[in-house]
Amino acid sequence: MTSSPTQALAVAARAVAASKIYGSGDTEVRALDAIDVAFDQGRFTAIMGPSGSGKSTLMHCMAGLDTVTSGQVIIGDTDLTTLSERDLTLLRRDSVGFVFQAYNLVPTLTAIENITLPMDLAGAKGDTEWVDEVVGATGLADRVKHRPNELSGGQQQRVAVARALAGKPQIIFADEPTGNVDSNTAAEILGFMRSAVDQMGQTIVMVTHDPVAASYADRVVFLVDGKIVDELEDPTPQGIRDHMTQLGA
Amino acid sequence: MLRLALKSLLAHKLRFAFTALAIVLGVTFVVSAFVTADSLRSTFDDLAADINTGTDFTVRGALPFGDITQATPPPVDDSLLDDIRALDGVRAAEGAFFVDGVIPTDGSGESPTTFGGPRAGSNWTADPTLSQYFLIDGEWPTGLSEFAVDVVTFADYDFELGRDYQVVTPTGPRTFTLTGTMQFGFPENAGIGAVFSVFDTPTAQQVLGFEGKFNEIAVRADPAADISTVRDRITGVLPAGTEVITAEEAEAEFGDAFESFIGPFQTILLVFAFIVLFVSAFIISNTFNIVLGQRVRELSLLRALGATPSQVRRSVLIESLVIGATAAAVGIGLGMLGALALEWLLSAFGASLPDGPLPLRPRTVAWAFGVGVGFTVAASLVPAAKAARISPVAGLGEQSGDDGGHGSLWRVIVGAALAALGLILIGRGLFADFDSTTAQLLSLGIGAAVMFVAVAVLSPLVAGPTVAALARPLPWILRTPGRLARDNAARSPRRTAATAVALTIGLALVAMVLVVGQSLKDTFGESLSDAVQADYVISTDTFSGVPETLAADLRSAGAAAAVPLDEYPAQILSPVAPGRLDDVELTVTDLSAIDEVANLGVIDGALEGLDPMSALLVAGDAADDWGLKVGGEVSVSLTSGETLAVTVGAVFAKTRPPFWDEWIIDESLHRQTAGGDRFDQWVAVNVDGDDPAASRAVLDEVVGAYPQATLEDRQEFQASLEANLDTALALVNVFLLFALVVALVGIVNTLTLSVFERTHEIGLLRAVGMTRRQLRRAIRWEAAAISLYGALVGVVLGLGFGVALALAIPDEVIDRVSVPSGQIILLLAAAVGFGLLAAVFPSYRAGRMNVLDAIAAD
Repeated sequence: MTSSPTQALAVAARAVAASKIYGSGDTEVRALDAIDVAFDQGRFTAIMGPSGSGKSTLMHCMAGLDTVTSGQVIIGDTDLTTLSERDLTLLRRDSVGFVFQAYNLVPTLTAIENITLPMDLAGAKGDTEWVDEVVGATGLADRVKHRPNELSGGQQQRVAVARALAGKPQIIFADEPTGNVDSNTAAEILGFMRSAVDQMGQTIVMVTHDPVAASYADRVVFLVDGKIVDELEDPTPQGIRDHMTQLGA
Repeated sequence: MLRLALKSLLAHKLRFAFTALAIVLGVTFVVSAFVTADSLRSTFDDLAADINTGTDFTVRGALPFGDITQATPPPVDDSLLDDIRALDGVRAAEGAFFVDGVIPTDGSGESPTTFGGPRAGSNWTADPTLSQYFLIDGEWPTGLSEFAVDVVTFADYDFELGRDYQVVTPTGPRTFTLTGTMQFGFPENAGIGAVFSVFDTPTAQQVLGFEGKFNEIAVRADPAADISTVRDRITGVLPAGTEVITAEEAEAEFGDAFESFIGPFQTILLVFAFIVLFVSAFIISNTFNIVLGQRVRELSLLRALGATPSQVRRSVLIESLVIGATAAAVGIGLGMLGALALEWLLSAFGASLPDGPLPLRPRTVAWAFGVGVGFTVAASLVPAAKAARISPVAGLGEQSGDDGGHGSLWRVIVGAALAALGLILIGRGLFADFDSTTAQLLSLGIGAAVMFVAVAVLSPLVAGPTVAALARPLPWILRTPGRLARDNAARSPRRTAATAVALTIGLALVAMVLVVGQSLKDTFGESLSDAVQADYVISTDTFSGVPETLAADLRSAGAAAAVPLDEYPAQILSPVAPGRLDDVELTVTDLSAIDEVANLGVIDGALEGLDPMSALLVAGDAADDWGLKVGGEVSVSLTSGETLAVTVGAVFAKTRPPFWDEWIIDESLHRQTAGGDRFDQWVAVNVDGDDPAASRAVLDEVVGAYPQATLEDRQEFQASLEANLDTALALVNVFLLFALVVALVGIVNTLTLSVFERTHEIGLLRAVGMTRRQLRRAIRWEAAAISLYGALVGVVLGLGFGVALALAIPDEVIDRVSVPSGQIILLLAAAVGFGLLAAVFPSYRAGRMNVLDAIAAD
């Protein structure tokens, strides 16, 4: 509730004619093929597609973990293609949040230390009220002094989402955040992400292959062979499945 | 299994190289030690053969006790030469001299130096086959005013044929005309790190202080004559106290004498080699442990597919065997290079060695492979046994490189038992009586090694909290990278402990050397300032000493006292203890003036009014031991075969080797015997007046005529003795540095493996915004924390060893314990730097990791 609905219409991140090409000549593989896509602020977007469709590559390139071969990737006002390795790192630290499928937490750090890690790395004090709010929202306030191996898989992922939220990034990228957990835990994590968008005004882009997970999003983008082939607003699991069947995935 | 083991090695070449590197260094040391020693041996064997070519017999005075490394055989009467020449079957015979301490000064006023080699005076002889010298240029010198120098000295210094030069001889500085250059041994032997001044025989007799005598007589038999018959004939004309030896015996004796120097040299290098190998074994064991931990999945798959535990064990042992053998082979190559470097170093110090291939004897190769493979395989026994215990389903669970290392009872019991055993061995080595020094040192060495193993076993129990405590300031200073550094250093106590133990061993030895060295220095410094009262001390860096004419010259130049101090091997007998015979060092000095320059602390009797021709001074300890009192009768046997009958004139409290020992007689008594050389080891000088500095110029001028003598006041003297000691200590520490280099390799190895193991974590950290610099910093300080821990344990252990050693060494040598705290602190700081250095490569690799690959890594 820290952002207003008008801001929600602005674009948090976008790709312009973004291509990612591996190899050359006969062995050339176009993981991304001149993609144009924009992610609105304050919305929850899911990226779906079959294996090898380029959905993870798109996310990695959008998040500054990887670089595009041509085209532009823009987060806020910053063109990532112009940044050095060091500036990309700082951008990830300050403007991007991450949730991975697994290994999200540093085992030697406690839950709260993991949550504040990007801020600590920046040497910034951070917004303690906001951090408290995020921690409260995870429902893990009494467990924050525990180390990751003392938390369940779902709790660990919630801590990971909290870490992504804690720095108030421009955008959060989640790579199959529920890929490694059972459906109840998945619902718990997705619900938390959904509320982060609704209650806290965050922007989340999630890669997933699970229609149920994708149904938590406001919008689903379908990728095939490195191109965006379809979109769906306010999706339902069944609607997503139908689309996927149409796409032959 | 063999193929699997080899494949595994090839798949991890870098890890393989790092593991082998530790052993390579140790083997390099072993090979360098043997090859250099063998090379020196063959040089001197050749030389011994050259010298004795043409000589069938050597006739010389017989040493009643001791051997030629301790004393010069007494000279023979020159009249014996004619008796021998007259014998049937003797083709030729010549008298010969070899006296160390004969030093020419060149045209620029410079005297050749030899770094410990002899600067000898000798005589040339007419018979070319008997001579050890070969004329190179000019003429052989004849008469009292001519000499020749060896060709190497001639070339290296400012000499010209036909000009006059001063030569210091045992009978004082004299002037000679240089008539020629010559060569010792055969001309193809270049210098052997010695300087030769050669005279004709009558001149040598006179200036070298051997009137009517020869050092020895070289004899050549008629080729037709029967050697043993000739020998018997020679023996027939020899007076008592004279002996004849064959060329073979002379060569063997020469070899033995040389071996008494080269043997310890080789042993010392081997001791350092074993220290390096010992440290390497820990590193290899640790590396194997970590690697096998990372390979649990692979090994359990093998087990699931039907490999037996012993097959798994064998595959690990084969791997270690291959590493050991490869390391040994590389070590042999590097060892040859090391030997070359050592030879270069030796030749820089004046000894030139023969060209041609370095001798790589089968024994050296056997040792290289023996220790290389032996240490590697021994180090992998425990990891191999552990690998064999991996269950077929182990790989299905979560793989974790972290280990607990928590206090298991087993660890405590084994560690404590080992520590107790180590302490017993060390205690026994320090305080029990031993027949041989070797056995004593062995007990100490094994005790120390067992202690190190005990530390390695016990260390994981405390490593975690200790490292965390040591690294406590890191999060404050470096924030998150510091926090991660601390946690990572403390997270795997067993690994941290195993990594640190290599550094522990190296630094324990360094700390021990520092403590013993400082204690030695302080003891020596105080005993010196307490006991030596002289204004000036004259010392020398030559074995022979300074010519005894120097003391007389100083007295005639106005010195209030110039007291010589010299030492000879002797044997003591006394009717107060019938049947007892002690080998001792006999100090020879000026009894009438000794108390002016030395504080003997007379307990009984008095120094005044002693008869120099019959008085003996005895130290209190020896007197008590023998039951001797003032007036007691003592017989002192000398290496010349003579025995002096003396009476105890006084008993004194303080012995101060190397200046004076427990038994002291007067120089005038000793000079009457045939056993004395004409040199003094030290001269203590007093001057008149309150200001000793005022007389210095006069003394300097006198001493200036003796190139081998150094005049220093007491402060200077003490400082230069300490500097010598520092040099020796520094040399020891340089060798220990190799053990530290191995420790460095160990840290690099562990960190590289840990970084590899933490790929995911590093990928995550980088993804959420850790910069490369922050990552590198975290790894660097993790290494620093581990190093500091290892260093701290090492310093504590080393202080313990050092203090024990300082206490155990007899009070005459070390009577106190001094801890050089500044140097110890420096050592700890250096250890931190060491860790930072070790992390350069692993942190570079971690920084270079691709973030995406790291996150996606399996």
